[in-house]
This record gives sequence, C-alpha cells and structure tokens, in this order.
Amino acid sequence: MKKIDKSEVLKIAHIAKIAVTEQEIEPIINQMQEVLSYAARVVEIATELDDLVSQKNINFFREGLAGTSYPEELLERAPSQEENYFVVPKIIDTK
Amino acid sequence: MTNLAYASIKTLQELLKKGSINYQDLISFYQKRAQDLSHLGAVLEVFDTPSIKKDIKAIGTLSGIPGYIKDNICQKDRITSCASKILENFTSPYDATVVKRLKESGALMLGRTNMDEFAMGSSGETSAFGKTRNPWNTECVPGGSSSGSAAAVAAGLAPWALGSDTGGSVRQPAGMCGIVGMKPTYGLVSRYGLIAYGSSLDTIGVLTRDVYDNAAVFSAIAGLDLSDSTSLSVQPKDYTSNLDGSIPDNLTIGVVDTALEAEGLHPEIRAANLEAIRFFESKGARVKKITLSTLDYCAASYFIISRAEAASNLARFDGIRYGNRVSSHDLNELYEKTRQQGFGSEVKARILMGNYVLSVGHAADFYNNAQLVRRAIRKEIAQAFQDVDVLVMPSHAVPAFKLGAFDNDKLAMDLQDYFTAPVNLSGVPGLSIPVGFSSDGKPLGMQLIGPHLSESLLYQLGYAYQQETDWHKQHPAL
Repeated sequence: MKKIDKSEVLKIAHIAKIAVTEQEIEPIINQMQEVLSYAARVVEIATELDDLVSQKNINFFREGLAGTSYPEELLERAPSQEENYFVVPKIIDTK
Repeated sequence: MTNLAYASIKTLQELLKKGSINYQDLISFYQKRAQDLSHLGAVLEVFDTPSIKKDIKAIGTLSGIPGYIKDNICQKDRITSCASKILENFTSPYDATVVKRLKESGALMLGRTNMDEFAMGSSGETSAFGKTRNPWNTECVPGGSSSGSAAAVAAGLAPWALGSDTGGSVRQPAGMCGIVGMKPTYGLVSRYGLIAYGSSLDTIGVLTRDVYDNAAVFSAIAGLDLSDSTSLSVQPKDYTSNLDGSIPDNLTIGVVDTALEAEGLHPEIRAANLEAIRFFESKGARVKKITLSTLDYCAASYFIISRAEAASNLARFDGIRYGNRVSSHDLNELYEKTRQQGFGSEVKARILMGNYVLSVGHAADFYNNAQLVRRAIRKEIAQAFQDVDVLVMPSHAVPAFKLGAFDNDKLAMDLQDYFTAPVNLSGVPGLSIPVGFSSDGKPLGMQLIGPHLSESLLYQLGYAYQQETDWHKQHPAL
C-alpha cells in the first residue's frame, strides 16, 4: 500500500471536524498505515471472488406510531440552550 | 451457606422463593462486593439502593435478580458515557428496549460497567475512566470491548451483565474471563437505545457464568421491537425450555480447519477447542472439517466496514445537542476542539480511518471490496450450514495478555477480532463457552456458531457440555 499522505489526513480530519495537533498526527498516521496496509488484502482477494447478486432485501414498514415526545428533557441535555433552541456561536456576520 | 458471589440465577431464584434471602440482601451484598473489588475497574457506577428499588417495574421471570449494563446501553435518567469523556455527564432520556424488557421481567439494574471507549478496543484499555483488570490475573486484560461486563460476571459482582458485540466484544472477553457470552443473530435483540458503533454489525449480548443463566436473561430481551427498523419479526420465547442435557440426534459439527490451523492461534487454545469437540463426538455428534477460504480476509473487511460506519455514527457527537462542549466563538472551532478533547486517541484514529476508506480516492479499493468480501463470507458460511449444524472456532487467539502488551502494536490488538468478526459480518449467532485453562491458569474459550436464529440449538449444546465439565464452576482467587 502507498504511504498515507499527511496532508490528506489533515484534510480528512478537517472534514471530520476533529482538530489534530502536530504531536497527534504522526501516531495516527502510523496506526492508519499499519491497519490499512493489512486491510488492503481485501483488494487482493476481490479479483478472485465472483460477486454475488445481492440477496433481495425486503423493507418492512409499520404504521406511524404516536409516541411520547419530550423536547424539554432533550433540550436540557444540550451544553447551551435558550427557550426552545440549541445555542451555537453566531455564524452570520451582520456587519 | 451458598456463596452468593458465584450463585447462579437459578440458585438465587430458589433462595428468593424459599425466603432465605430477599432482594434487598442481594443488592447490599453485590454493592459491597463491587466496592471491595473496585481495583478491578469493572464497574463505572454502582447505583444507590433507593434508585435501584425505584426502577423495579414488575414481577417477572427475573424478579430480584441483579445485573449490570454496559455503559453504551441507555438506562433512563442514568449516565450513559460509553466510557468517553465526551459523554461523561450525559444522562439517558429513555431506557433502551433491552433495559425496559429486563425491568419488566423484574430484574434489578445494579449499575454501569466499564468498556473500551465507544466499544472500540479488544482489551478494555481505551476507556477514558480507567482500565479493567482480568479477575483471573490482575496484571492482564479481561478482553474487550465489554471488558467491565465480563470482569464483573467472572468476579462474582453479579450473575449477569449485558454487553455489545460488533466484532467480538462479547465473545472474546467471555473467553478471556472464563464465562459464557452470547452474540445473537443480527436483529434478534433490539438495538434501540444502544449507542451505535457499526450499525450493520452491532448486537447486544448476554454475559453469565453458565449457559442456563445466559438463556434465562436472553429470553427476557430477545424478540421483535418496532422501535428498531432492523428488528426481526420473531416473537419472544423461553430459551431455557430445551436445556435438558441432551444434544440433537445426527448432529454434525463443522470444525473450521482454517481457524484451528491459523497462524497465531495459541496452542493451548487449539488443544482445549479440540478436546471440547471430542466431547460432542463422544455424545454422538459427527465431525466434519470445513474450510472457510475467505476467513483470512474477514478481519480486514471488518476493520474497513466498522470504521466506515463509526465515522458516520460518531458524527453526532458535536458539542451542540448533548455531551461536553469546548466553547468557542467560532462554530467550526467549537466542533473541532470538542471532538479533539472529547474523544480518546483510538476513537479519533478510527473515525479518521473510516472517513479515509470512504473518501473518493479510496472507497473503490477499500470500502467496496470490503463489502464484496462480506458477501463472500456470508455465502461461504451459509453454504457450510448446508452440510453441518454448527461451526466451531476459538473465541480468542491468545489467552488474556498483559496490560499494555499491544501499546505499540495496534494491528496485533485489532487482530484479536480474527475469529469473531466473521460471525458479525455474517449476522449469525455465536456462543462462547469456557473450555479450559492455560498452563498458567488463564481461561480459554470456544465459539459455537449456528445459522441465523439458531440460538436455541447453541444454548442446548453449551448446556449439555456444561453438564459434564466444570470449567464454568471454577472461580478466580480474589
């Protein structure tokens, strides 16, 4: 397997919304390299496997059920809330 | 006087019925024992007596029988932390279906057990709240990720505990702790209220010291639940009813030779498995060798699929709706810092790996081929069940290892799932039973694997085995 590119991992970390420090990134890349190099064996065997026509999946449906809802209890669990809303930092600059 | 610590559910029920003890005695006894053995790190929280009593909802098949719940399964108004800092103060707004059903059966919820953070680990060492120790040898790990549940049951802190099994997290610690662990058919036990790791693989399972007790607890939780869209349309039933010590006539056991000859399998585990197979032969079972040619690719497929699903499941922990938040006036920074500081290193590595294998440049190689291997092993296992009734494989590759042994070899740690992950990939049930001890006194386990919805058969075989062996009756010196 090719060497995992540091800038690519940083980009993925950004997409996954996880800040990583310079100290953290090296061990993470090493771990990814080690585990994914092993995992890459799925590529080797894939060419030898006839893919199966996937079994028919059946979706089950049920009637909509009116359950109890508890918005206040859920909102209580938010780190920051006001009235009926979750509070986040301002994302629109009004200036 | 019965030793309450290692009393079976059956024994406790008899004592309760006779009136020689009451449920309050049991609560006090196990609370004290948890305190005395707190150095094992098995339990994250022991509930106080008034709140345990408040949760008693009904009289049923498990009335007065206390047990523990793994800390990724929601218990209403209790903390459910997944042994992660990000959820350290999160209280569940509702009961998971399994918890609700246990309460309706009269079972007592004693507390929450330790685990690998978000169930990501094979040793209990990734918990943000301390490592769990193996009761048989406290320098060693109990296995994982249901580390606390397995250690608690093995140490006699309770007769049962619930765990979850995504790639082996019930069966592998059960094997390493010398107890019984059931990983059910995917969809037979509701996942409603289980905090998701790999949704297409996740199952909730039961850990106990003997097979009868396992079947008794399993009977309370299995069966259709409309709150889980992947729940199978199977009604609840009594899984103890066919436990009479017999095994079915004309039973054929498939011995997976690719597993028993696998490089890295500890010779004492191999020997103990072969000895257990001979037991079934002596009872009239036929033994057939089965080769699973894709076995050697299952762990790889599991690594990819589980991490991909984790990447998407753990996106919900963002510091907005629940859990801890690292404040910032910038929303992106709030997300990034919250997740950086809330998640431990194993969880972060798995999320990044999951996003990597799903990303445009890599999905074709990794994710798509992992799914192809998954379909192949499913087919191979289904074909095996045309010829045999059950398959046998070890529950773990090595006996319990020392804490820290794999700190610098993450791949070797991940490969602990080698014999268990194929069962999750296929969605079939697997029952781990104790089949012996290593020369240095560590428990050894074996998996009985059956076709979809064959739990009754697996329990029947495990029970028959335990009628004539006493591995499960041995307890650690604590």
